[in-house]
Amino acid sequence: MKISQKIISNLKNGGANFFLSVPCKLLANMIATLEADNEIYYSAIPREEEGMGICAGAYLGNKLPCIMMQNTGIGNSINSIVSLLQLYQMPVVFLISYRGTPGEPVGAQGGMASITEEILDTLRIPILHCNTEKDLEKISIFTNHAKVIEGPVAILCNFNLMKED
Amino acid sequence: MNRFELLGLLQPTLKKNLVICNIGLPSQELYRINDQPNYFYMLGSMGLASSIGLGLSLSINKDVISIDGDGSILMNMNTLATIGNRAPPNYTLLIIDNESYGSTGDQKTFTSEKTSLKDVAIGAGCEKVIQCTGDQTLENLNKALADKVYSYVIISKIKSGNVPVKPIPLNAITIRDRFRKSIGLVPYL
Repeated sequence: MKISQKIISNLKNGGANFFLSVPCKLLANMIATLEADNEIYYSAIPREEEGMGICAGAYLGNKLPCIMMQNTGIGNSINSIVSLLQLYQMPVVFLISYRGTPGEPVGAQGGMASITEEILDTLRIPILHCNTEKDLEKISIFTNHAKVIEGPVAILCNFNLMKED
Repeated sequence: MNRFELLGLLQPTLKKNLVICNIGLPSQELYRINDQPNYFYMLGSMGLASSIGLGLSLSINKDVISIDGDGSILMNMNTLATIGNRAPPNYTLLIIDNESYGSTGDQKTFTSEKTSLKDVAIGAGCEKVIQCTGDQTLENLNKALADKVYSYVIISKIKSGNVPVKPIPLNAITIRDRFRKSIGLVPYL
């Protein structure tokens, strides 16, 4: 649980105060932590693209939103990222469980994993890689960076890091 | 009644509230009828008007109206489940159901055949769902806004058809900034 608590704490320190998730087993502890947190808004939602819309509205209402999802969720959301979040310059933090990275037991996750970073690069979305516990310290300033650049940023949490949670 | 006429009839209520308006002709017609800084016009991301309004209503203590269409709801139908379970009382979803994709040439949608958005909304968990004619829409919208306990989904069944209008001559950042200013928000950073 210690890794998920560090991640949530650093996201909140960076200003994130509105959280959504589409579940992943690697995010399960984070979701449980958020459900018990009365300082922020949290809800599960059925689909990532819809979440981009809800995050856009939360930003209009002065929140700094964070959506938690698997990397597959980026694939579900590309038009909403470009034609909503980036077009209107709306900060949103993507906290992504990076399925298909080493340690992953499900071979089929390898496909999206192999193109996740290229997609994010094509979208010009800044990436923070979290491979070790030490990397988690950078989450706070990176969260604030979304506000500074007025656009989405992506935090990729590798499988081996999250399985230690 | 078509969409242009309906949006005109609704102005006394819309102009006093925060409105998230669906992409394409709905936004362009609304702009042409009575442009207001508290109208957020979508320039992309079809399907997400309902979701943007939901996120806003969860973040502030003011009434928010999302104006969506039948085609857009069909594209993001899971939104009705999220609204049914999470929408606060200050959120109203107005679905203008003309049974067609108006912005792309009035091709028919499934609501012209077997699909009932009223039944879908009820099944998705929305507690207050009203289906009505265009003439009854203003009255029902006012009723929804007056109710401080429940969120409403209103499905306004109207005729297909559009008015020739031009693209909105505002860029996205202008739409964003004047909308946020109309809420009374200080600069974000």
